[in-house]
Amino acid sequence: MRPQLQQSGLFRAITVASVLALSAGALGAPAALAQVQGGELVVVQGSNPPSLDAMVTSSQASRNINMNMYETLYGFSEDVRPIPILAEGVEISDDGLTYVFTLRQGVLFHNGKEMTSEDVKASLERYRVVGATANKLDPVREIEVTGPYEVTFHMVAPTPTFLESFSSPRAPAVIIPAEDAEAEAGRTSLIGTGPYRFVEFVPDSHVTIERFDDYTADTRHDGVDGFGGRKTAYLDRVIFRIIPEPGAQVAALEAGEVHIVEQMPMPAARRLADSPDITLYENMPWAFTTFHLNLNVPPTDNVKFREAVQVALDMEAIMAISSEGLYQLNHGWQYPGTAYWAGDIGAEYYNLGDVDRAQELLAEAGYDGETFSILTDPNIPQHGRAAVVIAEQLNGVGINAVINQVDWPTALSIRLQDEGWNGWTLQMGIEPYLGPVGTIATLTSPARPHFVVPDPELDALYQELISGVTLEERQETFSRIQARMYEIFASIKIGDSGLMQAGRANVQGFIPFRFPRMHDVWLEG
Amino acid sequence: MTADAGPAAAPPSLAREVARARRRRRQGFLKRLFGHPSFLIGFMILAAFTMTALLAEWLAPYGPTRINYRAILAPPSAEHWLGTDGFGRDILSRVIHGTQVSLRIGIYVVVLTGIMGTVLGTLASYVRWLDALIMRGLDGLMAFPGVLLAIALAAALGPSETNAMIALTVAFTPRTARVVRASVLVVQEMQYIEAARAVGAGHGRIVFRYILANALSPLIVQLTFVFAVSIIAEAILSFLGVGPPPPAPSLGNIIADGRSYVQEAWWIAVFPGIVIAVAVLGLNLMGDGLRDVLDPRQRLGRDGH
Amino acid sequence: MIGFLSRRLLSAIPVLFVVSLVTFLILWLVPGDITAEIAGPDATAEDLAAIRARLGLDRPLWERALAWYADLFRGDLGYSYLLNRPVSEAVLERLPVTLSLAGLALVMATAMGMLLGILAAVRHNTLVDQGAMVTALIGLSIPDFWFGIVMIILFGVWLGWFPTGGFVPLAEDPVGWARSMALPAITLALTQMGVIARMTRSAMLDVLGQDYIRTARAKGMKRSTVVFRHGLRNAMIPIVTVVGVITGVLLSGAVVIETVFSLPGVGRLIIGAIQRRDFPIIQGGLLITACVFVFVNILVDMLYAWFDPRVRNDR
Repeated sequence: MRPQLQQSGLFRAITVASVLALSAGALGAPAALAQVQGGELVVVQGSNPPSLDAMVTSSQASRNINMNMYETLYGFSEDVRPIPILAEGVEISDDGLTYVFTLRQGVLFHNGKEMTSEDVKASLERYRVVGATANKLDPVREIEVTGPYEVTFHMVAPTPTFLESFSSPRAPAVIIPAEDAEAEAGRTSLIGTGPYRFVEFVPDSHVTIERFDDYTADTRHDGVDGFGGRKTAYLDRVIFRIIPEPGAQVAALEAGEVHIVEQMPMPAARRLADSPDITLYENMPWAFTTFHLNLNVPPTDNVKFREAVQVALDMEAIMAISSEGLYQLNHGWQYPGTAYWAGDIGAEYYNLGDVDRAQELLAEAGYDGETFSILTDPNIPQHGRAAVVIAEQLNGVGINAVINQVDWPTALSIRLQDEGWNGWTLQMGIEPYLGPVGTIATLTSPARPHFVVPDPELDALYQELISGVTLEERQETFSRIQARMYEIFASIKIGDSGLMQAGRANVQGFIPFRFPRMHDVWLEG
Repeated sequence: MTADAGPAAAPPSLAREVARARRRRRQGFLKRLFGHPSFLIGFMILAAFTMTALLAEWLAPYGPTRINYRAILAPPSAEHWLGTDGFGRDILSRVIHGTQVSLRIGIYVVVLTGIMGTVLGTLASYVRWLDALIMRGLDGLMAFPGVLLAIALAAALGPSETNAMIALTVAFTPRTARVVRASVLVVQEMQYIEAARAVGAGHGRIVFRYILANALSPLIVQLTFVFAVSIIAEAILSFLGVGPPPPAPSLGNIIADGRSYVQEAWWIAVFPGIVIAVAVLGLNLMGDGLRDVLDPRQRLGRDGH
Repeated sequence: MIGFLSRRLLSAIPVLFVVSLVTFLILWLVPGDITAEIAGPDATAEDLAAIRARLGLDRPLWERALAWYADLFRGDLGYSYLLNRPVSEAVLERLPVTLSLAGLALVMATAMGMLLGILAAVRHNTLVDQGAMVTALIGLSIPDFWFGIVMIILFGVWLGWFPTGGFVPLAEDPVGWARSMALPAITLALTQMGVIARMTRSAMLDVLGQDYIRTARAKGMKRSTVVFRHGLRNAMIPIVTVVGVITGVLLSGAVVIETVFSLPGVGRLIIGAIQRRDFPIIQGGLLITACVFVFVNILVDMLYAWFDPRVRNDR
């Protein structure tokens, strides 16, 4: 069978002023002429940032704002390689046990003080305590200040993938002034080194940031590169408005009250595709749509039953509805075209919607009508929509599927229980972006796998992956991981969904990314 | 409540008097009720609503959860009279099936509220030392905005039809109990109760036979409005995501589905709302009629939610 | 009067105590907590446990309840980690939005309702009467949150006369404020307008049927003078009572309308807090809302006592 990888033909008619993932090279040449200094730009998003203390949260709503205010030593480039941002560079010893980071000099915090190695050490020590993903510093035994602009990490053991995970924006290890190092989570003075600085946060209303005039641009680059590069803030102020209702967000965009909608509903995008006032920005792919099964309870403890679920599902229908039409079919556990893409492995099980085969497998599994409880939530709309379609399809092959839709915090607490659910719909946004380690870490020990009961073989493959020295070795390991995924059918890959964003036509220089970058964006006219 | 004559323990003259009055009241009661235009119209609306719910299987042109990803957000047409939603499901079929949930929730909440309200209201008025305790407790519940209490409870218990019923019952019981208590207090002071007590009728007999029977009218009127408010409240709970969960349709969660598409697909939110408004109108008309016929003294507008 | 007032104020204390108990009961029932919200969607179990320990959410509920009451006696409603500020500050900041929404709706509902009611009473048993009463009845049968959505579709989306949501502070831009509050206030007023219209009509009919009115008419006073000077003045007592009662109802309705129109009021704060499991805000928000509620009720009772002295000695 051919790999099931294609844009949905159904909605291909939509004309989208598509700004597809641009390579770093393409960004190199800045449009030198037209930038306009000044103005106030309003971005709208659906929920409050849980915290503006960037270390303590891995939520997208926070990241959207925080990554405009804070910076990390290392971060990802446009093509997802770790590049130095606040660091000048890093020297890794041959045994992999010491990392010597040199810092850029003259970088100022928003309070006017210069960033030194003391700030870096204090920030990272704080991250160990309050960081939402503090375990990424676990391989680091000690952080030592070895000069005014130099810090040295002493590692517990060589960790080839350390720099990748250290650069992760998930809950970024940002550098803040040493004075804030003792602050409890969420109680810092919100000072960073980024091109914009914090002004005010009125929950359920807005967050305002303003240009930091003494921002120290990274002159090693010609332009923006991922989370780093040379950043130039043109706007006076950026306001992130919080409007929970997607309909109200779109209305505000149409009325010109806001300039950028961070997450544009697809029906509205289709309606406005030809509008001269609106520019659409398509981010494809943006997230995995996944369906995790609970291996601890019947009927999902039976691999034959799980296989029946896999072959019963018509992924195209699920994706078309859950993503509202912005998707690509993809059986793989990495995005096509990325370094770890494993080709056709598993494709023969994907997007079958095969009722007869599913029923045969159910009979083989000895399934006798036990309840199949699908855990989902309405807060992330794709979750709830996917669950509805999955339930309908499973009912169609004779599985007694029921939906347990609860709100997001409840869903998170239920899925951490060993019992009480069989399937769980999940959009995996940042993990696939981070690459195979980030993705597979959620499915293996030592963390609790999303499918509850660890699979020893998969765990062993994961260890092989993170200790693999060369890319080729790791690629080979990942191929076996993907093959294993289609043997145990513990987590089911539904497809890749995109993210549609929209802006007013007078917004210039906006290049969609993992967060709305407000530097190098300006307002025309 | 029963058709036999008055209690044997009561003096014959009193028993005869009570029995005759009761018979006279019942005679012509139905005639007066159905002669009341408000009641009649309201009754017909409610009957139509009930029939829709009962015959949903036969009336609905499609299955209420049947997904068709090739007909997403289709406007009203000959094929889908009220259009389709974001799953390509037929809105008409969903609305027809959705009436079942509203009806079920309405009936259960009315019954539960009626029982709880009667028990608490009677206890409070009849057992003096319990009065203050019960009333302060009810005051406490009533100090929450009713909807907010129901939302908080429904969110706490988890979104399901049963939990929505529980939450609404807790939210509406205090007011109902107050109505019962007030009318029982009035009845208690009446002469025939004192007479019954004087001739040694037991507490149970007095409560059930005389007091409750006479407090029934305001209770019935109150419960009609509870029914109406429950239908609206179900919609509010579903709208905020703490009502009966998908994929089964309820009038409220259809509106909730449609709220993201007010510009692209107005039909999703608009039609179920009209059905709710008509059903509630019917109940309000019935309530007005009942009040006029049963309890002409009480003329205040209905309680809001 | 002072005795009456102090008695009512004292009786509010057990009520508020019950309120606080109920909020704890709700928190005890609620699954999940704030950690999920802080950590974000892709957090692992360990991330959550670490945050939970840091915020003291791993302590048993009774321990947290005791601590909360201890703080309450010192006038401290707690601190919200999600909003990063004291609860009292967060709630009191939102209160004006909710109060002004309810207030505006009250003015509209009263004006429209009394107008309809008077019209109906004066033209008793005519088409005008029936029309007014049908309008009132339809008004109180329409689910207000749905009506809000319809208003948004009609006046926000199709006609574009009003913004579809959002809030402009009065101090910043009075015109913008009025525009942002218009649709929500009309929506909220609709239901209660029906209640007031019905009450006004029946109170007016009672009064207009009385002897002294008929006498005044017989003496040749102008019809409008009779209606407004004599009739309405005497019908005011029951009307004021109803207006008082619906003030509470409006506060309650504002909760949902705020969500429909994206207004940053107390209702949306509390609903958001419930969804996010921000316990301190749920507790403090419900308590303060209940206080406002109780206060309004006392005010209504006082008005009632003012008009009808018998009430003062009763109870």
